[in-house]
Amino acid sequence: MSENYILTTENLTMRFGGVVAVDNVNFSLKEGELRCLLGPNGAGKSTFFKCLTGQLTPTSGSVKLRGQDITGWLTHDIVNQGVGIKTQVPNLFNGISVYENIRMAARRKHLKPMAREKAEEMMEKCGVTHLAKREVGLLAHGQRQLVELAMVLAEEPPLVLLDEPAAGMTGDERDRLADLVLETARKAAVIVVEHDMAFIRRIAKFTTVFNRGAIFREAMIDEIMSDRAVQEIYLGKQADVAA
Amino acid sequence: MERSIAKDVGFYVMLGIGLVLMFIGPLIWDLFQIMQITQYVVLSVYALSLAYIWGFGGILSFGQAAFFGLGAYTFAVASINMGDTTLPFVLSFILPAAFGAGLGYFMFYGRLSEVYLGVVTMVVTLIFWKLINHTAGPEYSIGDARLGGFNGIPSIPILNVPGDPSAWLDPAQMFQVFMAILIIVYVVLRLIIASDFGRVSVGIRENEERSSLLGYDIRRHKVIVFAIGSGIAGMSGAMWATYQTFIDPNAFSMEMSAKALVWVMAGGIGTLAGPILAVVLLQWLSLKLGTMHILNNYVILGGIMMILVLLLPKGLLPTFQALSLRLWTIGKSKMKERTPKGKAASDV
Ligand SMILES: Nc1ncnc2c1ncn2[C@@H]1O[C@H](COP(=O)(O)OP(=O)(O)OP(=O)(O)O)[C@@H](O)[C@H]1O
Ligand SMILES: [Mg+2]
Repeated sequence: MSENYILTTENLTMRFGGVVAVDNVNFSLKEGELRCLLGPNGAGKSTFFKCLTGQLTPTSGSVKLRGQDITGWLTHDIVNQGVGIKTQVPNLFNGISVYENIRMAARRKHLKPMAREKAEEMMEKCGVTHLAKREVGLLAHGQRQLVELAMVLAEEPPLVLLDEPAAGMTGDERDRLADLVLETARKAAVIVVEHDMAFIRRIAKFTTVFNRGAIFREAMIDEIMSDRAVQEIYLGKQADVAA
Repeated sequence: MERSIAKDVGFYVMLGIGLVLMFIGPLIWDLFQIMQITQYVVLSVYALSLAYIWGFGGILSFGQAAFFGLGAYTFAVASINMGDTTLPFVLSFILPAAFGAGLGYFMFYGRLSEVYLGVVTMVVTLIFWKLINHTAGPEYSIGDARLGGFNGIPSIPILNVPGDPSAWLDPAQMFQVFMAILIIVYVVLRLIIASDFGRVSVGIRENEERSSLLGYDIRRHKVIVFAIGSGIAGMSGAMWATYQTFIDPNAFSMEMSAKALVWVMAGGIGTLAGPILAVVLLQWLSLKLGTMHILNNYVILGGIMMILVLLLPKGLLPTFQALSLRLWTIGKSKMKERTPKGKAASDV
């Protein structure tokens, strides 16, 4: 049934008081698939991610990782089953260096000497080697994104969740990121939440659109782009904001 | 803060000072000074227990005295019963550490918020204090040791040479043994902090969410850190008990917990040497002020504390480090300025 799926959710729902942030979501992701997750602000994308990682305990419904029900598990237990997340607001160890941050991640999977190598490799890959000794708390937003990405990828999780990874990045950083995402997707399943359409176009294939906590559309990216209803929910939001 | 030990000059300086004092101290100090400094040493070990869990584990405990007192009473009761003080001293580490692990399990696995953590540690201390105060009657004895309630336990044995209960340490020897313990605690904590375990603790202090998102079990980590701190606090309690040969419920007092907080805050959170300096400085000050009888000691100490927090919010050691670094760089740039001038002079 769910054998070739790395991730499935069944009627996943997350309420905050009266707000239904995630509404009955039935989502599935194949092993090794790269999926983009779109949707206007407040659509529930980040909340959906947090339900997957155990940062939030869903109000109802279930999350399965390779067929195993992980609903209600603690974050570190879920992570140790092979999930890595780059959160929307970079979550880093601000007081310590870039290298130490990444090494902390690498050390989870590798013995000491290997962890060092792995950390150096990840710094190189993510283009932050020149920042190795800098304190993470003092970096620019885009650089922090890259450091967090290096941390996530250092653990080589089979399921990678990236919440707005391109935000705050320069053009060069964004190009590097796109390459990295594509490379990662060759070995792992990846879900990318992003608002940056140019970036999305570079990486997206099959795409899910969220609106008001629910899945609104699922189709190939070209189809999504030309979908009037999808354009309207984005425009509608913008109109709301403008009003 | 998390530098590797090999490059940590401050560490070797502290180690050097400690070793020199340990061997030279008894030769140059009189008995009163030795006794006084021994007290600083004991309280430094106690301060280190909180400096570690707060500064390097992010655990703010308002009840460090619970473990200090537990260690003191453990040592008192066990040594009065056993005669030899070696095993009681070991127990004074193990029992509080075990109790800390249990309490920590309840607090961290119960996912208590930081505020409740403060409240729970404080309440536990109060409970100990209340309980032990109510043990004045003769029915409250453990073996040969009467707990004595608010009267405390007198005639606690002085530390002896292991295996020979009649070979008591004299004050100079006790100072040296305690100094050795302080040095060992300092070095061991420094090694723990530099280890992978210690780095994870610091990571948890920096960002709990990211730590668990990397797969680290922060509850287990905190329990271990808390238990280590509890054991060290307990051991310092035993040192206190044998140093005074007397212990009373004040070991469990709020004041005792507050002192640890003050020393760590004044010395600098996230350092080990800072709280030791703060112990020496503030204890010395309160001794001086105490003999002057101008004002209530606590009022003065409270005042000093407030001034420290307002003027040196980062604590003594970090401020001192920043200052000396600045002086050094200023000095260096001055030197650079001088060089071209010298050149010019020789040109003439
Ligand atoms: N902890 C919370 N408590 C209450 N409401 C919340 C909480 N977290 C999210 N929400 C609400 O849930 C809804 C979905 O928020 P979420 O952050 O998941 O949206 P998003 O799709 O990630 O938006 P964006 O693109 O702006 O990041 C919003 O209405 C938000 O206000
Ligand atoms: Mg979001």
